[in-house]
Amino acid sequence: MTIVGPIENYRTVGVWFEDYGKQWAGRAEDLSSRLDILRRFCEFVGKDPDAIIQECLRSSEGQTKISIRGRRFYDEKIREFQGGVEGDARLKVHWGNTIRSFLIHNGIFLQSGVQLG
Amino acid sequence: MEFKEVIGRRRSIRFFQPYRPVEREKIQIILEAARLASCSVNATFLRAIVVERDKLPRETLDALKTPVSATNLEMAPVHIYFYGDMGTVPRAKGQTLRQLVDVGALSPSHGWSHQFVENMVWPAILQPLYGNPATAGVPVAFDCGVAVCQALLAAFDEGLGACLSAFNIGIAKKVFNVPDDWLAIFALLVGYPAESWEAGGQRPRPPFEELYFEGGYGTPFVRDENVVSKLREARMIQAPAPLPWRWDEIRALARAFGLPE
Repeated sequence: MTIVGPIENYRTVGVWFEDYGKQWAGRAEDLSSRLDILRRFCEFVGKDPDAIIQECLRSSEGQTKISIRGRRFYDEKIREFQGGVEGDARLKVHWGNTIRSFLIHNGIFLQSGVQLG
Repeated sequence: MEFKEVIGRRRSIRFFQPYRPVEREKIQIILEAARLASCSVNATFLRAIVVERDKLPRETLDALKTPVSATNLEMAPVHIYFYGDMGTVPRAKGQTLRQLVDVGALSPSHGWSHQFVENMVWPAILQPLYGNPATAGVPVAFDCGVAVCQALLAAFDEGLGACLSAFNIGIAKKVFNVPDDWLAIFALLVGYPAESWEAGGQRPRPPFEELYFEGGYGTPFVRDENVVSKLREARMIQAPAPLPWRWDEIRALARAFGLPE
């Protein structure tokens, strides 16, 4: 699935921006500079942002829950994506954590573990 | 540190200096504190397996993580895996209670005797209660909680940071050779804090009067502000979270350790 139109028009990108802004109130950075990283990740996995979040969720007895399988899949994909970034360790971490931030602020609980460059 | 300040300074520390080891002596002090905790029928249920993170093979450390504890387990150099030994009372068959009678902790002044323990307490109360895992779990877990709390406070008294954390109990059972009748409680993660000792301030709690009652439910135990002032002076009650710089601190720590924002 390819990205149709501007990536910031996707609902989950809006949720990311809004929740990030709320959480880091007064200290939030401009995420628009990170949209290109998200776009590249979407290309990497062949999914649009909404589809990525959707795959990390599942419905059970009328409740939305995190899909362990989906989260695990994207956790691995982020590591793979991060590992393929051309640049130093700091840059790799920045790219990987940008995607993690997108997932986290969409309610997908995820941890990166310590990544000492 | 004074006792009240130890209580006041305790926070769940989630950012540790992963590279700084903890002195073995301090770990022993933590365990000694747990051993002296109050416990029903004098049965010391709590068991602990101390693990140095760096002695674990990488794949074992990864397997012990749960989604919510991954970063914590990775950062803390020492893990203390706590369990409740469900077999404590059934194995002792009332012996731990008899010890209390022997040493005068329980005495005829309060109605206690060897005869009462032998003929009544053990067969009628302890054996059915603790012999059944369905009924034993709550009292065992409660007593373990009391002991773990002492361990936790001892860690802060030693200048360490600590946090109770979930862990993968199935993996831990296999890796640490945990007996079948041990009930997994929590892991106490221990290390030197990477965050400031305030860790953003004292955590939000419900109002005092909503929690505690006098004479019966519905009549709040009225909080005396003079006592509150004294506790502030003693540093048991401290500035509430979030301290103004907390989010800057989190950002700095996140960037230092490569964690997401």
